[in-house]
Amino acid sequence: MSQTDEYRFQVNLGGMIDILANHLYSSPRVFIREILQNATDAITARKELGKAAAESKPMKEDNTLGDTAFESNDYEGKVIVELSGAGDQQVLMIQDNGIGLSEEDIHRFLSIIGQSSKKGADLLTSETSFIGRFGIGLLSCFMVSDEIVVLTRSVKEGVSMEWKGKPDGTYTIRRLETELPTGTQIYLRCKPGSEFYYEPAQVKDSLFYYGALLPYPVLLSVDGETKQVNLPSTSWMQDPEQLRSRRGEVLDLGYRLMGERFSDFIPLRTASGRTGGIAFILPRSVNLNSKRQHRVYLKHMLVSDKAENVLPEWAFFIKSLIWTDELQPTASREYFYENEQLDAVRSELGTCIREELLRMAEYEPDRLQHWIRLHELSMKALAVEDDEFLRIMHRWFSFESTFGRRELSELIREAGGRPLHYTATVDEYRQITHVAAAQSMLVINGGYIYDAEILDKLHWIDATLQTERLSPEDVSLSFTGLTQEEHTKYYGVLRVMDAALQPMRCRAELKRFEPASLPVLYTISQDALTLRSMEHTVEETTSLFSNVLDSLKAGVQQNAGYSTLYFNFNNPVVARIFEATDTQMITAATEMMYVNALMMGHYPMNRSELELMNRSVLHFINWGLGNGQNT
Amino acid sequence: MEETIYELMEQAQDMPGGAAKLAILEEAVRLADTSGLKELAYEIRGEIVDCAIFNGYPLKSLIAFSWQLGQFDQNPEEYDPVELLWNYKWILGKVCSFSNISKTQIEDLVEDMRRRYAEYGYNERPYYYYKFRIAMDMGELDEARRYLDMFRVIEPDSMSDCEACEQSQMVRFYYLTGEDEQALAVAKPILSGRMRCAEVPHVTLSQVLLPLYRQGEVDQAKEQYRKGYRLVRDDRDFLKTIAEHIEYLTVANPIEGIGVVERHLHIALDYESGLEQMYFYAAMVGLLQKLDTSSKLRLIRMPASFEWGKQERTLEEIIAYFKPLAESAAAEFDRRNGNTFYTDWIGRIVQPV
Repeated sequence: MSQTDEYRFQVNLGGMIDILANHLYSSPRVFIREILQNATDAITARKELGKAAAESKPMKEDNTLGDTAFESNDYEGKVIVELSGAGDQQVLMIQDNGIGLSEEDIHRFLSIIGQSSKKGADLLTSETSFIGRFGIGLLSCFMVSDEIVVLTRSVKEGVSMEWKGKPDGTYTIRRLETELPTGTQIYLRCKPGSEFYYEPAQVKDSLFYYGALLPYPVLLSVDGETKQVNLPSTSWMQDPEQLRSRRGEVLDLGYRLMGERFSDFIPLRTASGRTGGIAFILPRSVNLNSKRQHRVYLKHMLVSDKAENVLPEWAFFIKSLIWTDELQPTASREYFYENEQLDAVRSELGTCIREELLRMAEYEPDRLQHWIRLHELSMKALAVEDDEFLRIMHRWFSFESTFGRRELSELIREAGGRPLHYTATVDEYRQITHVAAAQSMLVINGGYIYDAEILDKLHWIDATLQTERLSPEDVSLSFTGLTQEEHTKYYGVLRVMDAALQPMRCRAELKRFEPASLPVLYTISQDALTLRSMEHTVEETTSLFSNVLDSLKAGVQQNAGYSTLYFNFNNPVVARIFEATDTQMITAATEMMYVNALMMGHYPMNRSELELMNRSVLHFINWGLGNGQNT
Repeated sequence: MEETIYELMEQAQDMPGGAAKLAILEEAVRLADTSGLKELAYEIRGEIVDCAIFNGYPLKSLIAFSWQLGQFDQNPEEYDPVELLWNYKWILGKVCSFSNISKTQIEDLVEDMRRRYAEYGYNERPYYYYKFRIAMDMGELDEARRYLDMFRVIEPDSMSDCEACEQSQMVRFYYLTGEDEQALAVAKPILSGRMRCAEVPHVTLSQVLLPLYRQGEVDQAKEQYRKGYRLVRDDRDFLKTIAEHIEYLTVANPIEGIGVVERHLHIALDYESGLEQMYFYAAMVGLLQKLDTSSKLRLIRMPASFEWGKQERTLEEIIAYFKPLAESAAAEFDRRNGNTFYTDWIGRIVQPV
């Protein structure tokens, strides 16, 4: 057995402060948040004490503490921040009339870093009304000051104390002769280079930024002039429904807090009432990828102005102001832990937004239409998730169609009881759009994000809303076929054409369709398209990969089928081709039509198709030069 | 033409990953190809590889990557090898999902990657790590265990997968071997949030559900399901993970499983590679068999794009439709892999009719 000696880690406080400043906190100005938080905690604690005392009145006689501690009914919390001096003599003082610290408290909270004021609780994550991390919070002040002086008098003991701390970890404590008012005052002297954070405008901004919603006055005193910094009344935080009747005020608040002019909002509230908020509707379209940045207050103090996860992802048309007392902040207190509680809150807040939209649908369709036009994608995303929402909203959603961009209700009317046709991809839509439009055939482009999914689900919410996925091939159903005689007459030509197209896994069809100016229509299935791009790639890649692609082709080929080249008999040139008797002429014309269709559709040609084009062009030049009897 | 291409690329940049974005990139690449703009076509294909692999279009990704690699070999000095070599791993992560790609071809691909990494001075950790993953994909678990021990002793370099990804593959290994305690132990740093990346814990959470459930940690399993499903439900790339969630719901909460099946069926029906599809169909059949099949009513709502589902179908009919699809796909993979891994697996989660 060897003897083990026990040693203690030496922690370099200067290094700790550097870590806090540069890594944990996003900016030195959080020291304002931390001292404001301490003041708030102290005020809360004093209120709690008063409440507890009021509840246990009969035992009051037994209590050895003075009556002054229990003036709960008329006790009003208050924070005063005072700026004085100039240059490197600048001092920031923050005073609260909260619970104050006793000598024992000072030893416990100010002198041991990392000590929580709540015994036995998990330091950073515990949910208490008294967040109290006095020690760590106060450390952040060393980012802007080389000395922290705390004067305090506890409501319980009544002894006035002074604590002076330095960034090297040394501190002094002494009892004061003079009698301080109950509460705590903190003095910070400007550290060289930190003048910026002591400028009155900066301090005022920061106090408002972090403490706008604090439920008691936060006063800033500069040059003998004292003004309240935070909002004078926040009574609506108890009952966000009140906001509805205070429109102007709310929109103004939105501008002051979020820096944006909004024109509409939705009050938010969870059933428990522990989380509430204002969901401002963004007056501009936003990119689907844009960051959601919500502003969240925890127990009246700002936690984050870029919280992403407090509202559901589909709510990207909302910028919200949220207050809560039930979510757990992360260590830096700038985000929230993704836990079950957050999940529940998020879905409840989402429900508020959803229900408001549903209400609009019923009572204020104009207002709803306005917002749908701006934020359609977000609403479609929600509709994909939520059948009920889809049921109410679907008629206002717009879709690209061969009749133009139209609202679904119009498209349903146009369809007149027949199923709505849609393509699953943009590619398929592009292949048929011209022809379908010329046929007055209604086809919806389902290739855009969420659209196909919505169209796929419509029949879930209303059995009379039938949709049908259309493939490019299906467009030909509306074409006029040939008569029996014509069929017989042109059978031979079609066979020559088929033979010419066969190497490209394509076949010919003869139909009549609009527009007459279009000689041919090339249609190809998604699988055949994939096959084309594989073949194209096989020619370009390494032998190993072309080998692999060749194996894969087998699987795709099964489903790919043939592409089809529809010849339009309404087109005069096509009509002439079918009157031709020269097989070589028909073959060359077919090949030309084929490569022409590929070029018009921007399909990259593979080697054999390029050769084909080359060959037929030469044919035609040859004929054009009068040597009709080609050799 | 170049202007149009740049416009399309810009348009694509503003879009979330998915089919609509791919359609635009593909149009851009077609224009670049027909205009002979090779370097631009290379760049766009890089975007396609990226977008396709992370949004559930492995075949599109593979095709675009193949083209890039061919182009790179012809003009190596024109392009960035780091990105290409990095992407090679993504491709290897997906090749086993196509039963048409033979075992030899897959082995050749891994060797090709090994050679290329060595050529550019990277070590063999990714090589053995992918041997490990591929062995799992092929159901060769003994072999996988061997490679697991081999890759871990090589120092990671900048071509190695991130710590979280490697860890999650280890969880997967113990999930596959049924070593529940090991799986949960290895998953710990992921569950605690210490290890994470763009795909972790997304793909990991679904693999701790059954181990937790089997150990009696029912509430824990429920909580991890909630977290995990939320992370993967909007991305078709996670179809296999969704199938694992359905497998868990089959024992824990079949009724909730119906919603999950309905929500994702349209993706499975239209999936580019067979392995993920097989997982989904098998899990779906397993779930439906847990429900009361005596009712003649159709309990599963099907997407309008699914022709067969347009008629009212009973649960029994739906099971009878999808079960053979899953089984024949499993048989195909087994034939390719030369074992009975997937058939055995289906036998365990699906009841004989």
